[in-house]
Amino acid sequence: MKTNIANTNYEVLNPWAEADPKPLQGITARIADLTGKKIGFYCNSKRAAYPVTQVIAEKLKTRFPTCETSWYFFTRVSIPEIETNKDKFEEWIKGVDAVVGAVGD
Amino acid sequence: MYDVVSVEERNRPAVAVVNEGFASDARSAGSSRGMPGVRFVATSVPCESSIDKDIDAGITAAMDNIINALTKPLSAEEKSPKPKKVEKLSRIVFRGDLEETNRFFYQRGWTDGLPIIPPTEEAVEKMLMGTDLSPDYILAELGPRAGKATVEKIAVNAVMAGALPTYMPLFVAGVKALIAYPEYGYLRYGVSTGSWAPFWIINGPIRNQIHVNSGTGALSPGDIANATIGRTMGLILKNIGGMRKGVEDMGTIGNPGKYSLVVAENEEDSPWEPFHVEHGFKMEDSTISFSLPNISVCGGWPYGSDDEGILRYLMYNIKGGGGCIILNPTHAKVLASQGWTKKAIKEFLTEYVRVPGYRLGKGMTALPSGLRGDRLPVRDTDEVPLIRNIEDIAIVVAGGPGAHIGQLMGGVRVVDGLFSCWGKTTMKIELPNNWDDLVAKYKNIVPTYSRY
Repeated sequence: MKTNIANTNYEVLNPWAEADPKPLQGITARIADLTGKKIGFYCNSKRAAYPVTQVIAEKLKTRFPTCETSWYFFTRVSIPEIETNKDKFEEWIKGVDAVVGAVGD
Repeated sequence: MYDVVSVEERNRPAVAVVNEGFASDARSAGSSRGMPGVRFVATSVPCESSIDKDIDAGITAAMDNIINALTKPLSAEEKSPKPKKVEKLSRIVFRGDLEETNRFFYQRGWTDGLPIIPPTEEAVEKMLMGTDLSPDYILAELGPRAGKATVEKIAVNAVMAGALPTYMPLFVAGVKALIAYPEYGYLRYGVSTGSWAPFWIINGPIRNQIHVNSGTGALSPGDIANATIGRTMGLILKNIGGMRKGVEDMGTIGNPGKYSLVVAENEEDSPWEPFHVEHGFKMEDSTISFSLPNISVCGGWPYGSDDEGILRYLMYNIKGGGGCIILNPTHAKVLASQGWTKKAIKEFLTEYVRVPGYRLGKGMTALPSGLRGDRLPVRDTDEVPLIRNIEDIAIVVAGGPGAHIGQLMGGVRVVDGLFSCWGKTTMKIELPNNWDDLVAKYKNIVPTYSRY
């Protein structure tokens, strides 16, 4: 007698876990124009983050000569800044009008 | 991306600038923080580039998009994102033959590419014999998607991997080990471009009861325990945690260790206290520990078979940053006979694993210049230690006869400058009431090789 296991039918359970839906939040209203605004640059630990923001800043200054710039550098590798240096990070955010985050990847 | 979300949450418009290969990852990261509309601009700047002209070209091409991302008014969806209709997951997900089931699971992205055992109701029920916990008990929510790690979901993934019910207590303890430091451990390393692979060390009596190999080829295929314990944990991370290759797990090169990287310590042939006893557990406890190395050297060949030959090899060849050194019993006994304890070896390596400053390279961080926190600038002629703390090194005795040394390095330091994971991700394995019966039932499942 031949048995063909491949033809056996299986009723199988789902391996994919359920997850509660996250409460969603919208993003912040944009600024109409960068003229005269202070742009913050956030750099994480990756090597390219800082040079990328330098180039963006240079080009922004060319287009918007009156815009100001400010940099913030990560505290700990790969850990959200808000968890490691909350007060300092929040203070910096308050002092800028918009932020460009460079992740280096 | 998480930092950009934090900025948005504090009412400042923000945009992330990412490499074009990270678009999916950026979307997932925003969604995982409840902000699916977070803006990002994908550029052609190569990852971690240090080439000025590439950076300039990539940013020049992206400048309009970067400015638009900060100034273009929000769409209704960006302003107030509508919740996606949550797919209600049916418990029975498919009916079909072996091939159809495998194709279905593979096409849904639920496997590691290898065939799976169909997780039928009967097979999952049998797997659940390995735990006294209720199937719907939620052990943890595993990131990045906060999937609910119910005992049943763990069992489903264990069946798929081909595990035996006697391994269930390890999976329960393994999930607990994962969440011991989720933000700084598996979540940090598991999705990283660094291709870190979960590495599991098993100690205590359970090793022998379920036949976890601690001898010849312990890290090679061929042992159901070593093969399926790591495989199950990998499927758990993928199907419960939602850590999927190329979407959330952005490991650049990838790592074959992600299939399974499991070793038992050969406590019987070790001259030293076992790993778990070093970390405060009792000899009779069974434990599972994990780290996330990304450098595996399994054929390290010492310069001699005495203590000097072994330690000089490690001194000149070990990769920095910490990790696990696997010494075979012969080498361990030689070292012990010359008075070397595990602690003394770790102290020696922390002191003498050094490179000249010029070998460190430049640009390891995004900081522009100068002092970095707790470190002095390194001059080319300085000798720089590669291991910061003896706690960053683990020594485990395993492997068969032969003259080779193993290194599974990296993924150890949980929080920069604060502590290493060793011992902190070690969990005691709790056994079910029917443990002795289960062990008796599965004890003969061992390979017997015929001679030719």
